Amino acid sequence: MKHILRRKVLLFCCVVALLLAWTVTGNAAISGVKGKTFNLTAKSGYITTPDGNNIFMWGYALNGGTMQYPGPTLIVNQGAVVTVRLTNQLSVPVSITFPGQGEVTATGGIPGLLAREAPPGATVEYQFRVSQPGTYMYHSGTRPELQIEMGLVGAIIVRPMVGGTVITGQAYTHPDSQFDHQYLFLLTELDPHIHTLVEQGRMNEFNNTVVHAEYWMINGRAAPDTLLATNDPTLPSQPYGSIVMAHPREKVLMRIISAGRDPHPFHNHGNHATLIAHDGRLLESVPGAGADLGERHFTTNAVPGETYDLIFTWTGENMGWDFYGHTDPTGAGLTGAACVAAGVPLESGEPLENHCKPIPVSLPTQDALTFGQFYSGSPFLGALGALPPGEGGFNPNGGYFFMWHSHAERELTNFDIFPGGMLTFLILEHPNVVLSVP
Amino acid sequence: MKGRRFRCLIMLSLFFFLFRAPLEAAVTIQCPGDTNGDGISEDPNIECMHLAAGDGFAKMSDGYDMYILGFTDVTGVPADQVMTQALLKMEIAAPTIVAHEGKNFYLTLSNVGMVMRPDLFDPHTVHWHGFPNAATIFDGEPMASLAINMQSSFTYYYKVPDPGTYIYHCHVEATEHMQMGMLGNLYVLPKQNDLADGTLLNGFTHHTGYKYVYNDGDGSTYYDVEYPIQIQTYASNFHDAHINVQPLPFAAMFDDYPTFNGRTYPDTINPTSIMNKDGNPSQKVSSLITATRGQKILLRLSSLATIDTHTLGIIGMNMKVVGKDAHILRNPAGLNLYYQTNSLALGGGESYDVILDTSAVEAGTYFLYARNLNHMSNRTQDQAGMITEIVIQ
Repeated sequence: MKHILRRKVLLFCCVVALLLAWTVTGNAAISGVKGKTFNLTAKSGYITTPDGNNIFMWGYALNGGTMQYPGPTLIVNQGAVVTVRLTNQLSVPVSITFPGQGEVTATGGIPGLLAREAPPGATVEYQFRVSQPGTYMYHSGTRPELQIEMGLVGAIIVRPMVGGTVITGQAYTHPDSQFDHQYLFLLTELDPHIHTLVEQGRMNEFNNTVVHAEYWMINGRAAPDTLLATNDPTLPSQPYGSIVMAHPREKVLMRIISAGRDPHPFHNHGNHATLIAHDGRLLESVPGAGADLGERHFTTNAVPGETYDLIFTWTGENMGWDFYGHTDPTGAGLTGAACVAAGVPLESGEPLENHCKPIPVSLPTQDALTFGQFYSGSPFLGALGALPPGEGGFNPNGGYFFMWHSHAERELTNFDIFPGGMLTFLILEHPNVVLSVP
Repeated sequence: MKGRRFRCLIMLSLFFFLFRAPLEAAVTIQCPGDTNGDGISEDPNIECMHLAAGDGFAKMSDGYDMYILGFTDVTGVPADQVMTQALLKMEIAAPTIVAHEGKNFYLTLSNVGMVMRPDLFDPHTVHWHGFPNAATIFDGEPMASLAINMQSSFTYYYKVPDPGTYIYHCHVEATEHMQMGMLGNLYVLPKQNDLADGTLLNGFTHHTGYKYVYNDGDGSTYYDVEYPIQIQTYASNFHDAHINVQPLPFAAMFDDYPTFNGRTYPDTINPTSIMNKDGNPSQKVSSLITATRGQKILLRLSSLATIDTHTLGIIGMNMKVVGKDAHILRNPAGLNLYYQTNSLALGGGESYDVILDTSAVEAGTYFLYARNLNHMSNRTQDQAGMITEIVIQ
């Protein structure tokens, strides 16, 4: 494969790689705030969309800081008694409900319909014990039909504990939930007209029966902003990115939260994923059985208010050709173990049966094709190939990019511009590439 | 204005086809083992198909001539005749792809261009929705790989994976091309169908000709007849804007032609092809479900709706759900998790395999329909959306 590396492409790609690795490096953890006590402030602010729009929002800010959408991801340990103190800097009462958490007590504030509320300028305190690990959300319990739309929503991740210690690399106490990387996909939609009404103080004109979303978000961002780094400085109120990175055979935990008003059938390209939990409960037939009622999906219809945990792994098995592009040096058509014996070692985790099998079709000339910006120029994982000037260029390591997106395809647009909306990518990298999830 | 624009388009397209510059690219078909040029490989382990992608018109049950982008089957058509033969012949649903587990499948896609939109130069792809362990080059998602330009071909290869019901569609400018009709049924038949006569499957005796949804090992997914039912929904405001070269209403698209396999009731129960305004068969896939009392009917349900989640219901008969997303409903310990239901919700991109056991029902006509009641009609007709009939004789 080396012979197809083009120096210029490589140089350009190195620059892109540096840009991609701009902020945080290391293994893929979900960005958020850990602890037991959280001070949140409900306040207003603005988010931006990739088409250049500024949208007025209400959101939960951490420790009186910047309004953010979604609210801070609260990462807590199973068994902890969690205190959430909400201070209201908005002109309307607000509150928080914690679906899936039992026995929430609230002090301060005033009684509300779904939760105790903080009037403007006041503070209300919620306390609950998180008994079960898993993926949850929190959101306003005050006019939720308006306030969730306005941005008062966030994720809670409860980490499993056994014998007083956190089990890292696992979503639940059972090993069926083991993962190498975990990613959050909090799905919402947004109707900018409502936000304009609220910003102009015309809240009484809001009609909950007439809502037409124009933007669809993952973790508060519409594509292609979903592919910007977490804590990207150009998106101060939308801190959470959603690029997914993994190597072949690594387990990726997808934590999907459907936080808006519409269902979003979430389709993961590349391979099937196993649904292991729903609303923070492992899909098990009896306690301790593991995720034995889990299903293999290629689309998870994330309906409003539900959360889903899935394990995704790309193995490259049964493809019928060698996706690393190994070739038999003898020219005799050796494959599998014979090719290894001829001096071509397997990559880590590579399926033996397809080792050194050539790609079964011949590719047409470049003028027959249009290339995507995430195409490496080569069909092989970890390889780069020649591309026409100006094409490709955003795939410096020759990874496989797989779109993970809402399959309600209307939602792949930003105010009538395609592509955008509820889509992100899994970047599957060669085993030798050190992952640096931005 | 409209007429003038239309004449303009015709002139442009004439100009385009008469004076187009010769390109190096051309229709090329890859089907290893095809020695006589009929598009079918003589090698029993190789399956081939050739699809053309382009535009055309569909005819809806109220007479609406809907402009579509789509696919048509040109398997066996000589390469130098594909460009002319396939023009304006596109179909909804796209031609059904039936593959056999473990075979080497070569799908050639040729882009014949869009006659009615000569201002567009859109490439096309086939996304093998749900095929496990994809490589980007054959995944058909153009941002991460490549798409096929007009007058050109590309051959996709898959070692056909696990049996079950999949979907295919074009992934180029996915919202537009999918709303415009580039959607089709795709399913994989299991190796268990090919067992020797008399093979015992855990108490169930297999006989030649028996068909199963999965390699179930116990005959529990046996069926007599199968029908693919694909939810496809079309928004006339989008299609009209497209043919009139207007900005496309993405957020405002409004599905007023909710269909099964590209037809609204009663066209769904027409056993023959629906012909479009040019006299071409534009909707070949009937949704009429017929069986003899006692037979087991497999419905391969899938949705490629671009907006809504749909609930399908049947009155008078239960569905046994045996698979979802091309996986048998069975836990790791081997326990079947099949369930009975008379309604099933599908979001876009999902598929289910359900079996109807007709041994306990009376002969007669039953209805399969969308419980999204607004989708039981189309723009101008009531009782003319996602409705079809199950006729038990």
